[in-house]
Amino acid sequence: MNLKSLLLAGSTLLVSTAASAGGFQVTLAGQKNNGMGGVGVGLSLDQAAMFYNPGALAMVRERGVQVGINATMARSAFRAEYGGSQRELRNSTVTPFNLYAGLGPSEGKFRAGIAVYTPFGSKLQYADGWEGRYSLTDITLESVFVQPTVSYAITDKLSIGAGLVILAYGSVNLQRDVPVQDQQGNTGHVELDGTADHKIGYNAGIYYKPSDKLSIGASYRSQIDAHVKSSNGDVSFSNIPASLSSRFTAKHFDVTLPLPATASLGIGVTPTEKLTIGLDANYVFWSKYKSLNFTFDGPVGGATTSNSRREYKDAVTLRLGGQYQLTSGLTVRAGGSFDFSPVKDGFVTPETPDADRLGLNLGASYKFGEHFGIDISGQFINLKKRTQTQAELASNGTTDRVAGTYKTRIVIPGVGLNYTF
Amino acid sequence: MNTLLKRSSAALGLLGLALTGCQPDLDAPQADKGTADFSNYVAVGNSLTAGYQSGGLFNEGIQNSYPNILSKQFAKAGGGAFVQPLFADNQKDGSGYLNFQGFTATGSPILLSPGQNGNTRTYQLAYTGQTLISGERQLAAYAGAQPNNLGIPGISVLSSVAALTGGLAPYGLLNPYLNRLLPAAERPTVDYLTYIGRATPSFFTCWLGSNDVLTYATAGGVASPSNPFSGLTDTTRFGQGYRTIVRTITKNGTVKGVIANIPSVTDVPYFTAVPVATAIASIKGNTALPNAAQASLYIRTGAGAVREATANDLLTLTASSVIGTATPGVPLPVGVGYSATQANPLPSQYVLDADELAAVRTRTTELNKIIDKTARQYNVPLFDVNAFFSTVAKDGFAINGTANSTSFISGNLFSLDGIHLSSRGYAVIANEYIRVINEKYKSSIPFANPDEYQAVLFP
Repeated sequence: MNLKSLLLAGSTLLVSTAASAGGFQVTLAGQKNNGMGGVGVGLSLDQAAMFYNPGALAMVRERGVQVGINATMARSAFRAEYGGSQRELRNSTVTPFNLYAGLGPSEGKFRAGIAVYTPFGSKLQYADGWEGRYSLTDITLESVFVQPTVSYAITDKLSIGAGLVILAYGSVNLQRDVPVQDQQGNTGHVELDGTADHKIGYNAGIYYKPSDKLSIGASYRSQIDAHVKSSNGDVSFSNIPASLSSRFTAKHFDVTLPLPATASLGIGVTPTEKLTIGLDANYVFWSKYKSLNFTFDGPVGGATTSNSRREYKDAVTLRLGGQYQLTSGLTVRAGGSFDFSPVKDGFVTPETPDADRLGLNLGASYKFGEHFGIDISGQFINLKKRTQTQAELASNGTTDRVAGTYKTRIVIPGVGLNYTF
Repeated sequence: MNTLLKRSSAALGLLGLALTGCQPDLDAPQADKGTADFSNYVAVGNSLTAGYQSGGLFNEGIQNSYPNILSKQFAKAGGGAFVQPLFADNQKDGSGYLNFQGFTATGSPILLSPGQNGNTRTYQLAYTGQTLISGERQLAAYAGAQPNNLGIPGISVLSSVAALTGGLAPYGLLNPYLNRLLPAAERPTVDYLTYIGRATPSFFTCWLGSNDVLTYATAGGVASPSNPFSGLTDTTRFGQGYRTIVRTITKNGTVKGVIANIPSVTDVPYFTAVPVATAIASIKGNTALPNAAQASLYIRTGAGAVREATANDLLTLTASSVIGTATPGVPLPVGVGYSATQANPLPSQYVLDADELAAVRTRTTELNKIIDKTARQYNVPLFDVNAFFSTVAKDGFAINGTANSTSFISGNLFSLDGIHLSSRGYAVIANEYIRVINEKYKSSIPFANPDEYQAVLFP
């Protein structure tokens, strides 16, 4: 399989609607994990360990190749403080994708592998005429990471691993209306479209299995600053009144978006051969995301920069999930997660209408003979209803966004195929 | 394997079901009238109540008057029909309005009145061809049902009550906007007080008094000898008139409503759009002037003195089209206001000099005290427009991600005349009324979305 062509073919698919974890983070990296609350740091289930804890890869019994795809379907409702009817999204379905190939000697202590996944992304298209249109009408944020990974079992109880995390593809498309109208009442519109520089970060993990019944893991993924440089970022305007054209001449933009580091701890418990339970905690260093700053090569409404406060706070996600082997072929899974929002009160933006999230997961795997298996998963995420008032926005200096109440639910069915040897 | 496929398709079916039930719904906010009764809302006021904008009264402006926006929100809580004194469809442009034709090379807006040279817009005006004794052109009489919006552009407290001037000036014969609402026989005899006394409101708003200082201020502190209502109204007669008006519209304190006060002239783009410093800088930078660096802006004060303008003087919006123009008999490049030695200082009517400004401010404060006291006397809540616009002038006023301010043209809130609000500005005002109403009357009237109302439309 030609990795590059796969990436290019997949690149338009590799996004997630409304992100399925806090902020614009997406945690849909492993199809088995997706069925059990997203736990995995303290487990050695399959090749997806490269994402969750590269240290656990050496303890994965089989070598193999696996792919997974998820359909993220978000449904939102919004009511503005200054406005009437309920606004919804122009519904879209997007499909985060993952691919893992793990290799190594069958009896050796080394394992190596390559992973392709999409840890950050977002796609939201608001219905025409919604109250927040001067903040945002559409956003598509895509990222594809490629991660070559090695793992080594120091003893039969302790293993370590690390990977190079490569931002192989990143793109952003942001659109909003400009609050100027021509004599016919048409409203201006601006679109920013860019691709990010390639960047390299790392992840690393350690995995310890003191007994058959207990395993512990820890992992860390570094921050990567996704940077769209001016030559890769295009600005285009439409419906700008002729008399104001000199105030809207920008052609290019430059922006940096931090994709924050994550530290994770996990515990795996295996009371019987057939039952595995995982408990994870992720700590995401969102506080690096202070503000979103665009620099333009010409004026946009008279200004050549745009600064918008974000002031995210570090956030924790707690996960609990398990699997039970019903028959020799069939394994069932269930789990849940609670995701504390990194977005403070009065800082909610239309591009990330975030709130604390409760996720419930179900999943199953079926093995066809020795080598081939299918994993299905279903995830339901309920975002807490969240209201911010114009008074809060004014006191925070965040009046570039809209006051009102958001409520979002997300359903994510997914399916994966694996071949082990 | 078939069993598995059946099972998984059943699971997928369940997911589909989950998805159709996934769309969240937020309950519409409850609109409750509280202790108020909006079944017959009547608005009393001047041009700001009538919906006057961009230098004229016309149907689109009337439709976007704050009382009409309010009535639409009231309708969600038991509000009744709201009749507006519209012009006939074929005279929809009423008194006409400024046309925004673009910017000059130096970035000044080109704003043209109906019939002004170069104005490419065609208007459907409502003038009858007759002239009133005040010299103003008569507008076609309104023939519809008794309106709920009783706003009369130009009216002040002093001109509302004939008794205050001993019937000296029959206002129905002077003001074309009151003229068009009164039957011909009543124009010489019925004053505004009598006119509003005929209404039977269940709820009212009253925003009067601005013209008791603003007419004087916008004329650069020059009262017209032919117009008895062009000075600063004295506090005695204002107090008498204001209390009478509130007593009348509240039916002796039995009708609920809101009273609004007088905004400060310094928060209005008509007086802030052309700062003295900017005018002087542009004169000093004018390469066509001999000795431009030594030139400055000179004004004639209300007291008759000629002196250099300072930051304490406010130039009117109209001054920008006068400064630097040819003085009769004196050829360019020596234009109006450029020099103290020539007989061409900027005439007094284009500048509210520091003394005049102080007088206007003092009187505004005095009149607002009367308004505040009267409101408390009748247990009617006060919408402090003065404080509101002070805040907006200082901090701006953002809504739904749009930054608004009191800046001329770019601020969205004021219309092309720099004094009256744009439709969006009127929607903002309606929301601030709602805030006061909801607090006082324990109602929950929802806010309007100002972004649905137009600000300045650019060519």
